Amino acid sequence: MAKPVDLALSGLSKHYGRNVAVEGVTLRIAAGELVALLGPSGCGKTTTLRMVAGLVEPSAGEILIGGMQVTKVPVHKRNIGMLFQNYALFPHLSIAQNVAFGLQMRGVGKAETAKRVADALALVQLGSFADRLPAALSGGQQQRVALARALVIEPSLLLLDEPLGALDKNLRESMQVELRQIQRRLGITAVLVTHDQEEAMTLADRIVIMRDGKLEQVGTPEEIYSQPATRFVAGFIGAANFLKGTVASRGAEGLAIALPGGGRLLLPTETQEAPLVAVRPEAIAIGPADGPLPGNGTPATVEQVVYRGQMTHLYMRLDDGEPLLAYLANRDGAAPDGAGMRVGERVMAHWPASANKVVRDN
Amino acid sequence: MRGRLSTSGAVLVYGFGALILLFILAPLLVVISLSVSQAPFATFPPRGFTFDWFGRVIADEEFRHAFMVSVVLAVAATAASFALGLPAAYALNRWKVPGAAAMEAILLSPQIFPILITGLALLQFMASRGLRDAEMNLFIGHVLITLPYLVRTITASLKLVDRTLEEAARTLGAPPWRVFWLVTVPQIIPGIAAGCLFSFMISFDDFPISLWLADAQTVPLPIFLHSSMSRVFDPSIAAMSTLMILTGALAVIGLEKLVGLRRAMGI
Repeated sequence: MAKPVDLALSGLSKHYGRNVAVEGVTLRIAAGELVALLGPSGCGKTTTLRMVAGLVEPSAGEILIGGMQVTKVPVHKRNIGMLFQNYALFPHLSIAQNVAFGLQMRGVGKAETAKRVADALALVQLGSFADRLPAALSGGQQQRVALARALVIEPSLLLLDEPLGALDKNLRESMQVELRQIQRRLGITAVLVTHDQEEAMTLADRIVIMRDGKLEQVGTPEEIYSQPATRFVAGFIGAANFLKGTVASRGAEGLAIALPGGGRLLLPTETQEAPLVAVRPEAIAIGPADGPLPGNGTPATVEQVVYRGQMTHLYMRLDDGEPLLAYLANRDGAAPDGAGMRVGERVMAHWPASANKVVRDN
Repeated sequence: MRGRLSTSGAVLVYGFGALILLFILAPLLVVISLSVSQAPFATFPPRGFTFDWFGRVIADEEFRHAFMVSVVLAVAATAASFALGLPAAYALNRWKVPGAAAMEAILLSPQIFPILITGLALLQFMASRGLRDAEMNLFIGHVLITLPYLVRTITASLKLVDRTLEEAARTLGAPPWRVFWLVTVPQIIPGIAAGCLFSFMISFDDFPISLWLADAQTVPLPIFLHSSMSRVFDPSIAAMSTLMILTGALAVIGLEKLVGLRRAMGI
């Protein structure tokens, strides 16, 4: 495999007339890193990937692969491997001919082509399928052939456009593991586009959250989940309760916030205004309603109890009408009994101060 | 889920289908049956059985000449229409050509205008320009009426091409012309084949253009058939017609062998 190279995007933009698809994306992806572009449909993640591939011409900005300026280089000279959601295998060519396609374009000799095709098919464990036509293979097998076809040319970059989106859940999960192992083993720099947050978490070294054509937050999966920068990120990755109150007092411990529903929060921040706070549902614990008001907590009424195996989802309503969601862990599959597990019951929801994530409201 | 017909429903559907097929094929069957009739005139029902009329027709040098004129004309017109139609259809569909819609409409317009009038207009134009080479005039006229079929079928199959296949080929290092030949063309072969078949049959069967542009030396088969019929109406006319039907059938079978008729017709 060729030496891994880094990818740098600088002020990358794409406008279609007055519509802005991508605006000012600046991002550096280290050699050997797998970065996921994640966001809802229409956020510009696919357009960004297609600009890196050369399939879409940027309106502004630069693309550098391994320090080389490629913004004006046509697709077929960029030396990239790309996977598409619909696999894009050539239906009239056999599996081996599909994998050999990129080598033929590079004028590689017959003997070497045969050897490299065999190696690539062995890498994805499809050596015995060489003479079949793509239509004879399942979706998962077809995407593995597409992976072999993309990797056999020893590309500088591997671009993945929703590669597992068409597969069913179980197959998708095993393919995620396989894709990750192969990418790690070859040490190839990769960009993945997905709208599936679990897939991004599973595969990526770093996640780029995009919204309305712009970068919203960049970080490791853990950073993105535990320190969401904005309301959008907190709500898009996992679930979150959003709380906003008024400043009740300032002390040595920080800011005490009174919630309109009768609860309160303690924040170690110095802001003038009371900020928006996100609290993950799994951070919330339930106590009896007649207990003392905790440092971070609120009284609530249980509205719905949903048993989900490893967790029970508890939907509550605060006294000001705002919803509150808690995930309560189930030990050995048994729902936690005791206070507050019945609909209509009054409870006291509470959480540690560390669970308060101050986010930008956007 | 596919529904199953009840027995009475099946009888009705198949019976009706058979009637429609009979309606389409009966005239052809009548012609074929007359071509082997022993009666000296073309009368139905035929009497006896003989291949004599075919022998006479094939021995007729004028018929052989007319047949060859029509085959060569149909092949040449189809080849030229393909050579013009493929790049035209591709450019109009894939490139941002100013006025593409208008150009496509003009290319397809010979299908809409009365062919007889088109032929007359061509004759007037060519006469006014002093173009008296009947072979060349027929060739130009036939290209004019066959081109729309190729443009239309190739356009239709280009619209069905999976563009991500082309994108995949580009990322794998294929320059544009190799993407076209290695990925796009294999996908539109059925459309090309169907277009060529239509084109061949339209030209081979053409009367209204050839009527104006033929001369005494260059007589396409349909013109020859028509003038023979006004001289004498014996079963040799039916034999000639049967040979024309056979040529069409051979073209269809050839297409089936080459690309598969179902694929070619897009079914």
